Amino acid sequence: MQVYLPIAEMSVDAFLLVGIGFGVGWLSGLFGVGGGFLLTPLLILIGIPSPVAVASGANQTLGASVSGLIAQWRRGNVDAKMGGVLLVGGVLGSLGGVQLFALLRRVGQVDLAVSLFYVVVLGTVGGLMVMESLRAILRRRTATKRKLHEHFWMHGLPLKMRFRRSRLYISIIPPFVVGFGIGVLSAVMGVGGGFMLVPAMIYLLGMPTSVVIGTSLFQVVFVAANVTMLQAVQLGTVDILLTMLLLLGGVAGAQFGAAMGTRLRGEETRALLGLLVLSVALSLLWGLLRRPENLFSSGPAL
Amino acid sequence: MIRLLLLLALAWPGRAPAQEVPLVAALSQNAVEVTTGFTGTSLMVFGSTEGPIGPGGDEVLILARGPTRPVVVRRKVPVAGVIWVNGPSARFAEVPGFYFLGGTRPAWQVLPEEERQRNRLGLDSLPLTSTGARSPGFRAALLALESSSGLWQEDTAPIEIAGSRLFHARLPLPASVPTGDYQVEVLLVRSRQIVARQQLAFRVDRVGTADRIATVAEDQPFLYGLACILSAALAGWLGSVLFRRG
Repeated sequence: MQVYLPIAEMSVDAFLLVGIGFGVGWLSGLFGVGGGFLLTPLLILIGIPSPVAVASGANQTLGASVSGLIAQWRRGNVDAKMGGVLLVGGVLGSLGGVQLFALLRRVGQVDLAVSLFYVVVLGTVGGLMVMESLRAILRRRTATKRKLHEHFWMHGLPLKMRFRRSRLYISIIPPFVVGFGIGVLSAVMGVGGGFMLVPAMIYLLGMPTSVVIGTSLFQVVFVAANVTMLQAVQLGTVDILLTMLLLLGGVAGAQFGAAMGTRLRGEETRALLGLLVLSVALSLLWGLLRRPENLFSSGPAL
Repeated sequence: MIRLLLLLALAWPGRAPAQEVPLVAALSQNAVEVTTGFTGTSLMVFGSTEGPIGPGGDEVLILARGPTRPVVVRRKVPVAGVIWVNGPSARFAEVPGFYFLGGTRPAWQVLPEEERQRNRLGLDSLPLTSTGARSPGFRAALLALESSSGLWQEDTAPIEIAGSRLFHARLPLPASVPTGDYQVEVLLVRSRQIVARQQLAFRVDRVGTADRIATVAEDQPFLYGLACILSAALAGWLGSVLFRRG
């Protein structure tokens, strides 16, 4: 069934979009991430213009993360204070990111920038995840104990604040910087950034794992909402019909994925997710390196 | 002379020669509605001529043009011989969003060159002036891109003739047609000269949900953004409620 997307101004198969939503939702439920990093490249692959794919991807991420946030909030796994600090950084970061995106669109380098961001970020994160989880799987037998968290230069920074839920007394500068960075990436890549936020919270901020997922979802929901609003107002590239079709499949897929995820072990799941992230990065890299079939492309002049 | 007499004889019982119309044409519809289910459509241009059309007789040409918009054509270049990046670009100020030219025979066969150029009959006679990169490759690339998207068509299908005086042609509009006003010109060519022309027009408009979404997004982006956020959040919440029960 073909459906005409009013903002993308093109006609796409509705079942294909619902199917993509389901697949991405399933994977995100399985691995506990938003799945935006898979969604945006897939949308670009089926011919949705990059600006629309990025903006609608952010909007879809918002919807997909809401149900998770509600569940985590009920269980008291959200550190709202830490989330607030991350969010201030995130909102400022996404403001900057949307300006960067508008500039890239004017000079005609959106496609390149989106691809490059994906290759670098996903390549790094995917590689680290695979290495870390492989090491964990190997270490499982030798079972050496590590310190809960180590002190280094970061803990000497000023503006310290107490985060009760996270049982931390740290400077607000690192969470602010982390939030800002995720905000920029969220605006340029159309992702929530959960897949980068979670490791950053564990390894950089030293937060306990129990509150990490809930707090990252808190940040993702609000930053994605901010990106959606900024993209809608400044660039007019959010396609609500596209978003709703993706969510239709996405919310269903996420439940199936989550049910299956409980049966997998943590390290194996992370290794699989790392491989998935890495393969997306490699396929995008290939797209940049191979000689394009048509050297010319056209687009509306801005 | 004989033909003229014949024409007069044919027209005589009807009306006076002063009101004589050698060409009558019409469109099957003058509004195309783009709904959320729009996948492209086609219009019929039809009409009749006074004299016989076809080999040895008159020829009919149909030219349709959509609203113009500025377009940028970019060329990819390898940076450091590795990564393909959008490099030089040319900006074309007035590019028709839709162009169709059809005829009982191709326009270049039935009209002298300067006449054809003057009437802009043919993709090669479009006045595409550009700023930016100077290479003629950009113009050629624009032609190729628009043609492959189905928005520019020249002699893709001939005009069909029935009973030597009736003609009809299908005007295919792909799903990506821009909205706006379209002009259709039907020309009657006799002995390598345009002897009659008729102007027709139609509009392509978004209607229903597709139109409402696009209008709100354009006129009230803040409200639209808010609606996007709320409906996505609601969909996510609904999904979690529905599936927890089940």
